[in-house]
Amino acid sequence: MSFFEYGTQQLINALSIGSLYALMAIGLAMVFSILRLINFAHGDLMMVASYTALFLLIGGSPFLGAAIAAVVIAAIAGLAMERVAYRPIRGAPDVAMLLTSFAVTIILENAAVLTVGARSRAFPAPPFLSTVFTLGNLTVSSVNVVAIITTAILLVLLTLFVRRTDTGISMRAAAEDLVAAQLMGININRVIAYAFAIGSGLAGVAGLLCAAKVGKVDPFMGFSPVLKAFIAAVIGGFGTIPGAVVGGYVLGFLEIFLQATLPGQSSAYRDAFVFGILILVLLIRPNGILGVQEREEI
Amino acid sequence: MDDSLSRSASITQPAPWQRYAGVATPLLLLLLVTFYLQWAGSAYIQRVWIILGLDIILVTSLNLFNGFTGVFSLGHVGFMAIGAYVSAILTLPLEKKATNLPDLPAWLAHTQLGFLPAILIGGLAATLVALVIGRPVLRLSGHYVAVATLAFLVIVRVILINATPYTRGSRTFSGTPAYTTVWWVYAWAVVTVYVAWRVLRSPYGRAMLAQREDRAAARSIGVRVLRSRMWAFGISAFLTGVAGALWGHYILSFSPNAFYFAETFSIITMLVVGGMGSISGSVIGTILVVLLSEVLRNLEGGFSLGVVQIPSLYGMSQILMAILFIIILIFRREGLMGGHEIDLTRLYVPDFWQSLFRRKEV
Amino acid sequence: MKRIGSLLSLALVIALFISGCTTPAPTGGGEAASAPAETIKVGGAFNLTGELSSLDVPAANGAKLALSEINAAGGIDGKQVELIIRDGKTDPATVANITTQLIDSDKVVAMIGFTDSDSALASGPLCQEAGIPFITAGATSPKLPSQVGDMMFLAPFGDNVQAAVGAEFAYDRFGPKAYLLWDKGTEYTTLLADYFKTRFAELGGEIVLEDTYQSGDKDFSAQIAKVKALGEQPDFYYISAVPDDIGTTVKQFREAGITGPIVGGDGYDTPLLVEVAGDAANNVFFTTHALMDPDNGSDAVKKFIADYNAEYGHDPENAFAALGYDTMKLIVDAIQRAGSTDGAAIAKAIEETQGFPGVAGELNYSASEHVPRKGVTMIEVKDGKFTLAAEMVPEKVPAP
Repeated sequence: MSFFEYGTQQLINALSIGSLYALMAIGLAMVFSILRLINFAHGDLMMVASYTALFLLIGGSPFLGAAIAAVVIAAIAGLAMERVAYRPIRGAPDVAMLLTSFAVTIILENAAVLTVGARSRAFPAPPFLSTVFTLGNLTVSSVNVVAIITTAILLVLLTLFVRRTDTGISMRAAAEDLVAAQLMGININRVIAYAFAIGSGLAGVAGLLCAAKVGKVDPFMGFSPVLKAFIAAVIGGFGTIPGAVVGGYVLGFLEIFLQATLPGQSSAYRDAFVFGILILVLLIRPNGILGVQEREEI
Repeated sequence: MDDSLSRSASITQPAPWQRYAGVATPLLLLLLVTFYLQWAGSAYIQRVWIILGLDIILVTSLNLFNGFTGVFSLGHVGFMAIGAYVSAILTLPLEKKATNLPDLPAWLAHTQLGFLPAILIGGLAATLVALVIGRPVLRLSGHYVAVATLAFLVIVRVILINATPYTRGSRTFSGTPAYTTVWWVYAWAVVTVYVAWRVLRSPYGRAMLAQREDRAAARSIGVRVLRSRMWAFGISAFLTGVAGALWGHYILSFSPNAFYFAETFSIITMLVVGGMGSISGSVIGTILVVLLSEVLRNLEGGFSLGVVQIPSLYGMSQILMAILFIIILIFRREGLMGGHEIDLTRLYVPDFWQSLFRRKEV
Repeated sequence: MKRIGSLLSLALVIALFISGCTTPAPTGGGEAASAPAETIKVGGAFNLTGELSSLDVPAANGAKLALSEINAAGGIDGKQVELIIRDGKTDPATVANITTQLIDSDKVVAMIGFTDSDSALASGPLCQEAGIPFITAGATSPKLPSQVGDMMFLAPFGDNVQAAVGAEFAYDRFGPKAYLLWDKGTEYTTLLADYFKTRFAELGGEIVLEDTYQSGDKDFSAQIAKVKALGEQPDFYYISAVPDDIGTTVKQFREAGITGPIVGGDGYDTPLLVEVAGDAANNVFFTTHALMDPDNGSDAVKKFIADYNAEYGHDPENAFAALGYDTMKLIVDAIQRAGSTDGAAIAKAIEETQGFPGVAGELNYSASEHVPRKGVTMIEVKDGKFTLAAEMVPEKVPAP
């Protein structure tokens, strides 16, 4: 395999992982931009979607139906989360909201353990997600292609939504200045609900793709993706959707690059690098690559 | 804001004998209870007592930083990890070092220290790290610093996993000598509470409180915010590292996963329940949460409520504790103690007990 | 809320706690199997949840099956045996906790459990300290007896043995060039890879590329790309992995177009391999303790499968079920031969075991050998089923 082919192979890997991170990061960014809440329970939405799809698939449902149901259930779960756990503490200091999201994560994960059991379960991905395309020496597994294409389509749709529709514009207004938006008569509760629903739905899609890639699901599967998504969002520009997307792909590329170049023995230092970069970003340019200036300093 | 520091003469000041008696009484009580449990308690209850003491150290030292500076450090368990690993590596018997840590550098492979030196070095290692990362990180504010400290927690874990010659990576670190006794734990717990108390009343303590309330105002009167934060961070890291060392020599086998999110959330729950900024709050909050978790865990195996048989629901205790946490955040964010202190020196002043039943502050 | 409120709630919780623990109830995970009063208590420490649960749960099931047989036959000299099982959650700190509970609170006289070396390492020293003999059902690190002490015994063979068989088998059958991928996150995978490297080099084999990952990693695309970039593909791929990861690994490797044989250790002996990897699991080989084949197994295996089926409603998931069964039978047999519940006596009785007929092979110990010398079963996955590829004893075994 020539270097070109190797490079292309890794490029596709990076784009694929980047797409997953981007999908997750958008959800986090949307919620943060309006509420200033870092929702760590976002990862559990992936898990909810994956398990929903799992049970439907085992029950014999066709994949498309199961996927749509899974995404819808994830969106509903996100709305429920907002209504029950986050609305009562709106206006609280940021840290209180962050801590609440930890508590929500614990509740969801343990509830999953109680209901479906803690052990991993195989995820029966449909054939179109498990085939392999070969071009010369390049092999691309279809799930990667699907991930890249799906993310691209969803991004286009999202951009249209945010720019053209009333609700989308209201969301941007609320993100810019929540109080002013309220004064302008925008129904904040509705806007926030949309943000949660859309963000959670995207997490659901990411969850399905992840389950297909890995081949199994377990109650804690959302934990490290949400950390990664979070880094992606911060690096790219926390609180902005384009930032989240950029951050997702940057992180994907960074990870693949580090994994490919670090000697085999120290491959796990990759994570230390990534988090180290997070701290650097927070120090030097806390609003990320695309971020808007708003840091408070002593 | 609780102004217990500048109490005027409007309340009865305790006489010197009352002051000493007030502080000595809980200590005596502690001694008596510990003796009793060692003599008559079951192995289980002795274990709970030790874990309680360890958690008191952890929560109080975290409170020292969080509560007084208002800055939220989510990475404190990283200091616990540093304290545990450093002290465990130092106390590991030489034969065990040869079999379990064959790749240690020569100077470490031939070192074996006693318990106290190892604890102190573990704590100091944590402090060192705190001072290094404190400089850049403590300038940040709000959730930025919380996020940065969270990143610190993850980085510590990754480093522990990769420093295989020293830590065995993610593999079990075992063979740690069982040095921790209930006396060590409570001796350090008393030290921690005392240090937290003294720091509060020191000039730096007042500076910390000042900048918690209003950074700009504090700055304007010359309070050096970064410096006071660094002090708190360093002291807090030391005590947390010590707690980690004690814990490591109690549990005897651990891996980096023991010092991650689960432990972090557990400690934060105790902190929030008791109330940030209040030392008595940390103690009471810890006792409450530890005992409540134990009660709930015991019930997880299933129990009967009259005619109803509740089946076994493992994991339910964590769900309930998390729900409790959210409820406190929603309805009583300042915690049970509300940031107020129980002034022990006034224990023998009649006013003290009266005020407990009134809504007035003491 | 008055200050008194918080003190009252504190008092309430303390009262609840004290009332709840006049007798120390087994906390989260406690499960007593069989009769009370004047019983001989054996501790069963297993990871019923967590990454190793797909091996530990069958092992625990096997042990429970053995227990019911033992008690039906009258127990030990008329006394019933009680197996107290607690969940270690595949976390060393929890494992240490439950071990202490089993020893101090439940007062067991002997301990069995765990199918992984990390958990055995967390539990072993505590048992050693307390003078309680501990037989691990499935942990395969041959270093355990020297690391833990003379109370430590293994029911299965050591990793040095199965790695040697893996190396010899693959070298003979596939060729001298290998790719090695191993999980840095566990004791077992680290040791297995190490022993494989040693034996393979001795045979004259060459490791053309070595790479690592961390337990729980979900994406192997970078490692796979590195392998594919090799000018010439190796003869086989030795992947040292834990049960929770192997399905994903095999799946992704095959999806990337790697068709060569994949070889590994008993971490592959899990239903998850075929469940997660599906067809990709074909052309996968692994060393393990026994093949649970109702048609071609030994008589002992056939009987075990039938009994397990009768008790649990499905075939034993993997060899670890048989190992759990054997371990329970062995410890009870040793207690009987020792004629007492004294730890040192039981340990001595185990050391004196000769020719003990286990479902997963015959068990022999000695004062200097706490790891039994057993044959290794090499399994090939064909059409989603485990089939017998070979039964081997290695020619040479790397030192532990």
